[in-house]
Amino acid sequence: MNLLVNGDAEAGPGGTAEPVTEVAGWRTVEGAPALVGYDVGGGYPTPADPGPAARGSRFFSGGNSPRTALVQDVRLPATGRVGRRAVDRGAVRFSVTAWLGGYAGQQDGARLSVEFRDADGTPLALAVLGPVAAAERAGRTGLVERTSSGTVPPGARTARALLVFTRAGGGTSNDGYADALSLTLTHHRGGRA
Amino acid sequence: MKLNRRDLLKAAAAAGALNVVWPLSAGLSPAQAREAAEALGADYDPAPFTLGIASGDPRPDSVVLWTRLAPEPLAAEQKLPEIVEVEWVVAADARLRRVVARGTVAASATLGHSVHVPVRGLRPGRHYWYGFRALGKRSRVGRTKTAPVGRVSSVRFAAANCQAFHDGFYAAHRGIARENVDFVMHLGDYIYEHGPVGGDHVRDHNAPEVLTLADYRVRHALYKGDASLREAHAAHPWFLTWDDHEVVNDYSGTGGGAPFMRRRAAAYQAWYEHMPHRDASDSALPDPEIHRVRRWGDLLELTILDLRSYRSAQNLPDGTILGGAQKEWLKRGVDRAGDAWHCWANSIMLSQLRGRPGGGYMFTDQWDGFLAERKEVLTHVHDAGLEDLVVITGDWHSAFVDDVRPDYDDASSPVIGTEFTAHSVTSGAYSADWNKTNGPLMGAANPHLQYFEGNRYGYDVYEVTPERWSTHMRVIGDRRDPVSPVTTLTTFHVDRGRAGAYEDEGTKGSPAQYRRPTGR
Repeated sequence: MNLLVNGDAEAGPGGTAEPVTEVAGWRTVEGAPALVGYDVGGGYPTPADPGPAARGSRFFSGGNSPRTALVQDVRLPATGRVGRRAVDRGAVRFSVTAWLGGYAGQQDGARLSVEFRDADGTPLALAVLGPVAAAERAGRTGLVERTSSGTVPPGARTARALLVFTRAGGGTSNDGYADALSLTLTHHRGGRA
Repeated sequence: MKLNRRDLLKAAAAAGALNVVWPLSAGLSPAQAREAAEALGADYDPAPFTLGIASGDPRPDSVVLWTRLAPEPLAAEQKLPEIVEVEWVVAADARLRRVVARGTVAASATLGHSVHVPVRGLRPGRHYWYGFRALGKRSRVGRTKTAPVGRVSSVRFAAANCQAFHDGFYAAHRGIARENVDFVMHLGDYIYEHGPVGGDHVRDHNAPEVLTLADYRVRHALYKGDASLREAHAAHPWFLTWDDHEVVNDYSGTGGGAPFMRRRAAAYQAWYEHMPHRDASDSALPDPEIHRVRRWGDLLELTILDLRSYRSAQNLPDGTILGGAQKEWLKRGVDRAGDAWHCWANSIMLSQLRGRPGGGYMFTDQWDGFLAERKEVLTHVHDAGLEDLVVITGDWHSAFVDDVRPDYDDASSPVIGTEFTAHSVTSGAYSADWNKTNGPLMGAANPHLQYFEGNRYGYDVYEVTPERWSTHMRVIGDRRDPVSPVTTLTTFHVDRGRAGAYEDEGTKGSPAQYRRPTGR
């Protein structure tokens, strides 16, 4: 189960290249994100460009701010096979996945990080994906998949996802793109040292 | 340690091959590199606590404890389980017998097996001792101190900056470790990012320019290979800010392309992994939030600035060194400030600095590249009636004392505070000839400049009472000597309620390359 809400940019206002004031599931801490439709065109990623296979109708972009940042706080499950007891035994693994990209040869970028925190908010573990450089997209508009996995550290109770879009140099449009963001937990045998 | 370091270095320098002798240049395993590094003067605490321990961000009821497990400190990847349990203990005595708090914390490979423990429930204004245990081993014991509350009659603290590894040993940190101070403020350039410099240096960087998370981790570990730095961390709690070299020379934190932003994130993460930094903010890693206000009772309000993360490019009409949010936060803090000494921890020079009369600014990477914002902020300070402002600064590798004025080009602009720019720990200054020639030129070009001394290295100690602020410029004799003795070059005072510094009568004849001829 994907613990991130609206990781696919499909919920809430959006659909054009215009920034939105609210993003379902996320808190905008800086800038002005847009949830752009794959049918907008005009240089934005289309259904034909590299990107997730099941990409839905929209993706995140940095809108028109030099830096746009969204935060989502996730409460890790209290019970069950990936609940606290399993976490505290070191028996839960996380997987963070994101499709990240940009426009043509430009170096605007998107980065997803997930910080695992204890009950007091202290960071215990970190996964960072991106940003993806133009060369990694072969200078082509589109999104590429990045993933990171590891053990959820004992004591972790929440995860904070931070999605940051950065504009390189001048211009107006922040063409960092992101879609299909996910955070999943799985039970595994084994434990801590 | 069988090799004679000085002979080895001398021979290597004569052969122009220091960077070959210095470890990790090519083909050495991390263990071999460490052995070679130790032969050349580096040393580490016993594994796995090789990088030492530290405490930071002291508050009345809390400090942050730090360590990082790195059995092979110069290895990019540690041969450790992905998660290692680390026990910590805080006690009221140095033998850790009168335990007041203890617990366990997970060290994750994703954060370089670093741990940050914000210990709460402590009593204000008290010394505490602490230690860690992991993998069956105990760390050294560190000492820390919580901030006091209420009426406080004195505070003493030290400031360090600019500690290029290749430019010398950290005798200054050895001095700081031995100072009777409440805390240490590091003003940035804790590491340098470039590759080996070669030539006749006492030691050198061990790898080319650092770019990735693994690179930055090894670089931080190399710097922690100076015993005096670890000793200073273990002796006192530290507050921290950063300057440019924690990432790359003269960078702006904004506006970069994806490759730079990835590098910045790697550098910031590695910085966090190696510092006793408390990160609980509205942001998240790998973008730690550094700027904050901390109080030492009713005596001192310490405002720590981040002049890198949010700055724009230099020399823009609407440029910013603080970023919009931090600027508004700073101004709100000025509006709300109570009656106390107000100290800004400022990584890079605030005061205007022209190189010679009629000449341009020497460096626009400092606040001189952000003129409108400097004037706006300092005018706000003046308009708000803030008194007793002292700015402490690093970066310049030389000592300056400046009057702070809202408008440096207007001789009638009032003095609203004093900026003390401290000597560097090791990072190279200009030559003695340059200083001798240019000290008077800078003095003539900058009426607000009171003092300049660029031939020495060290740190500052600030001794603060309700009546007076005193800045003691501590200097070492020789950067090439790890145990070089510390002396006080001179002392400047600021009287409470009266803007402007004056030099202590007992040291005003000490060597300097510029002193303003008229004063109080």
